[in-house]
This record gives sequence, C-alpha cells and structure tokens, in this order.
Amino acid sequence: MSREVAIIGVGYTGFRALTPDVSYKELMYEAAVKAYDDAGVDPRSDIESFVTVAEDFTEGTSIFDEYVPDQLGAVLKPVHTIAGDGLHGFIAAYMQILTGALDIVAVEAHSKASNILTPQHIMAYAMDPVFNRPLGANPHFIAGLEMNLFLSETGTTREQCARVVAKNRRHALYNPCAAFGATIEPEDVLASDTVAWPLARLDISPHADGAIVVVLASKQRAEELCDLPVWVTGAGWCNDSFSLENRDWSSAVYAAKAGEMAYRMAGIRSPWQELDFAEVDDTFSYKELQHMEALRLCRPGEAGVLVEEGVTELGGDFPINTSGGSLGMGNLLDASGLARLLEVILQLRGEAGQRQIPDVTTGMAFGWRGLPTTSGAAVILSNGYEEV
Amino acid sequence: MSLLERAERNIDAVAWQGEIPIQNRYTVGLAGERFLRELKESGRLLGSRCPECDYVYVPPTLYCERCFEKLDDWIEVGPEGTVVSFTIVTQALDGTPLADPDILALIRLDWADSLLVHRLGKVSLDELEIGLWVKPVLKPKNRREGSILDIQYFAPAYHEE
Ligand SMILES: [Zn+2]
Repeated sequence: MSREVAIIGVGYTGFRALTPDVSYKELMYEAAVKAYDDAGVDPRSDIESFVTVAEDFTEGTSIFDEYVPDQLGAVLKPVHTIAGDGLHGFIAAYMQILTGALDIVAVEAHSKASNILTPQHIMAYAMDPVFNRPLGANPHFIAGLEMNLFLSETGTTREQCARVVAKNRRHALYNPCAAFGATIEPEDVLASDTVAWPLARLDISPHADGAIVVVLASKQRAEELCDLPVWVTGAGWCNDSFSLENRDWSSAVYAAKAGEMAYRMAGIRSPWQELDFAEVDDTFSYKELQHMEALRLCRPGEAGVLVEEGVTELGGDFPINTSGGSLGMGNLLDASGLARLLEVILQLRGEAGQRQIPDVTTGMAFGWRGLPTTSGAAVILSNGYEEV
Repeated sequence: MSLLERAERNIDAVAWQGEIPIQNRYTVGLAGERFLRELKESGRLLGSRCPECDYVYVPPTLYCERCFEKLDDWIEVGPEGTVVSFTIVTQALDGTPLADPDILALIRLDWADSLLVHRLGKVSLDELEIGLWVKPVLKPKNRREGSILDIQYFAPAYHEE
C-alpha cells in the first residue's frame, strides 16, 4: 500500500431544482466554508492545493477554470480545473497527496444547471460534428438506443427500470438535502411521456443545483486533525472509445474497468461480499442496473431481479443509492460523482440520519460523466472499523 | 450558515442573460474525406480494415484504436446492414414535441464491425425490431454534397423500390 490518504471534511449546499438566491460562486463558497469548518482547516494557511471540476459550456463562460480560486480561498495557491466527473477530480486530489509533496488538498464540483437555458443543445454539441451531429436528433436518443439494447440483451424489463426510479425517489424522502424525494409507483414511470423509447421522462434524472467540497489529507495530518477520518482504499477510472460507432454498446465496459482498477487497489476480490453498500450512477434508471452488472455487484442480467426483490433498497442486503441517487437528489452535472461520494462518506461516519445503514465499514461510489460520454470513475472508502 | 444574507423574495433575485454566436469549421480529415467523397460520387460506403485485429471501421479511420496500427486497407461495406438497436424519439433537439417520431438506429453494415448511427425511414412500428435488415436510401447524385446526410435514411431491405 502506498501513502495512506483520508477524507477529513465535507461540505455541501443544495440540492434544489432552482437556486435564484445565490450565484454559482456563492454556492461554492457556502460548500467550501462548511467543508473547511468540518475539517477544522483554514484554506488560506492549511490547504495546499485545490482541484475543481467544471465544463465551460455548462458554466456559460470561456476559460471557466480562471473563475474558481476566490470563492474557495484558493487565491495565490496551486489550483487546477479538470474536465470530467467529480470523482475524476477527487482522484486527482488524492494523487496529489500520494506524491508526498502535499498533505492537505480540497476538491470541488458544483451544478448551476438552472441557469443553463439550452442544455440539450450543449449535449448535442458534444457529439461528432461530421458524422453524428448533422442528424440533428435529440441527444437522449443515445440513452434510448443503449437502454433498448440493454433490455433486449439482459432480459431486464422496463418495469424493473421503473422500480429503480421508485426506489431512489423514495430513498430521497429520507435525505433532507435531496431535491426530488417522492413516493411513486413503477406504473407512474411507465405512464410518463416517452422521450426516446424505451426511455420515458421519469427514467431521466432531473437537474438540480448545488455544490460539494471534500477535503483530503495525508495519514499523519488526518490523524492529527480528525476524529473520524474516512480512508481512501481504492480508486480507478477508465474511458471507452467515445465514438458512437466504436464504443461497446453492450456493457458499460468503462465501469467494469474502472471498478476492477479500484478493486485491485483495495484488495477486493468479491465486491458483492466485501462492500457493504454502494452509490452507483443512475443518471438514467437503466444505468443503475447496467452499472451494477459492470461493477460485479451482481451477475450479468441479475440487477433487475435484485431491485425487484428489494435487495438494493434501504434495509435490503446490499443498499444502492441510499442518498436517492441522481434520480432522487437531482442530476448535478459534474458534481454528480461527488454526490455519490458524499453519501458514502456520511454513511461511513454514521451521519446519514434516517437512512443510516447499521454497521457499515466499506462502501463504493461510482460516477459516470453523462451523455454522450463513456467515462467513469470508482472510489472505495473505508472507516477502518473492523467488520462486526 | 456561511452566507449571512440571501435574496429573500423572488423579485429581488436578479439575473443577467447572455448569449454568444458560436460557429465552427470542422476539417473532416483524410479518412473522413475518402468516405464522404466515395458516398457522393459513387454512392458506395467505405470502411478501413485493420488486418491485425480483423476489425472494419465505418466511417473509416486512419488508425486502429484497438492496436494503434496505421490503416491502409480500404474496403467497400454494406450497403445492406442489420439493426443492432433502435429508439423512437418523440422530442426535437430542443425538447419540443415532434409531430412524427424520429427513429434512430445503430446499424451494423455487412462486412463492417463498427456501428453506423443513422435514421430509419419507410418503416412501420410493427416491423421495427432488433435484427431488422435495412438498406440505405441515398439522395439523387446531383443533390449529394459529401455529407452523412447524403444517406437520407435506412429502410427495410426487403421492401420493393
Ligand atoms: Zn488493430
């Protein structure tokens, strides 16, 4: 094992469909103040480096990375912004500490999705300009194609996907910061408008605003500063071919490889048995099931049956997305992966309130960068307690 | 609470609106140009084959993303192919409802390994299924301009002209 790294603080604000009362900078500032208070650090004197995750087009500002230092307490400090999911940023911060050159690093990601007036155009502009974009189709067609193939190849049903929505929306009822908690039936999902058949409106996670900041530290500093450090035991990430023509449509191979990299590092052979719970990207209902299978949280074709049997709900044998996931908390753009990580941190600290899973020691967060990407990242955390 | 004050009434929440015209030019590249010229001039579909991986790229690429070899084996593929997946899209790009649904498909052209993304046309919802055999319907030659849209759509291959 290389240098050990722990999470010593976390701060978040949101998550709401609209946040007209604050700017994106104020969202970030608020999450940062909470995270630094939680970690007991002063950003001006203690934090040595900052990583943020953002995308110019969704921010509506060119060279957006220049706009992040002031609201994080990062002026005149090492700062860099990367493109990807929030977990890619988290792993970048983790690796900075692994180098041995730095001891305390903060990572931030946020969403001010409510300020984006033409989100589908931005998504469409991410497609190949010569061979795909001229078709002028609504970009959700990519999810429709993938979902249809997933259902057809695995025997999973639309009803089973709808159960994922009902489960995660219900979990969100127990999460005070989730934007979209609701008691709905799978039938409501099936009856919602078709967007790209078989994908319906309620299969799609609605956008939300919010910001998340996580503070990481080396083992020595973590033990000095923190009573409840949460240890990073594994990390992995992977990109499949981005082209619609050559990517692997049959399985989320990017998730499988990111997972294997993280499992190898954490010394996990049988994730289903060795992890206590997971937060897994559910940008679309079927994605939770597809990602479960790719991450070996069940056998191929089994994920739909498990959600039907209640295995993945709160109180089940292997709870998934107790936070509510993106379906229940809201799609937070680049911050989505950090939202998955946030829940793993809260669960491992025993701070998940009504949705606390008893006696947990190890959990995984998996993030996907969303349409039209094939880019994912996995992080495994442990609170260091012995299994009971 | 880290912020002492917030806008407390909706009408006090001020927002500024911005927009910029963004226009780009995209060089299609050597392999892309070869594909689009062939489509325009002869109506044929061209792929590039990696002998190492025995994999045919359509649209063609100059290199193999699997083994990273340079490719120089150009072969004709299709024109018929098989629907690997399809979706019925009911919203336009901007989210507004479409009068007629837009059917998009992943098509594995005969002799190709990669999947072409295109539109299906002249197909009834009854016959729409994974495995459907389709063929491209091209624009007349004098209206083709060297674009992926020179293929108007793919239609069931067993239909009469
Ligand atoms: Zn090759």
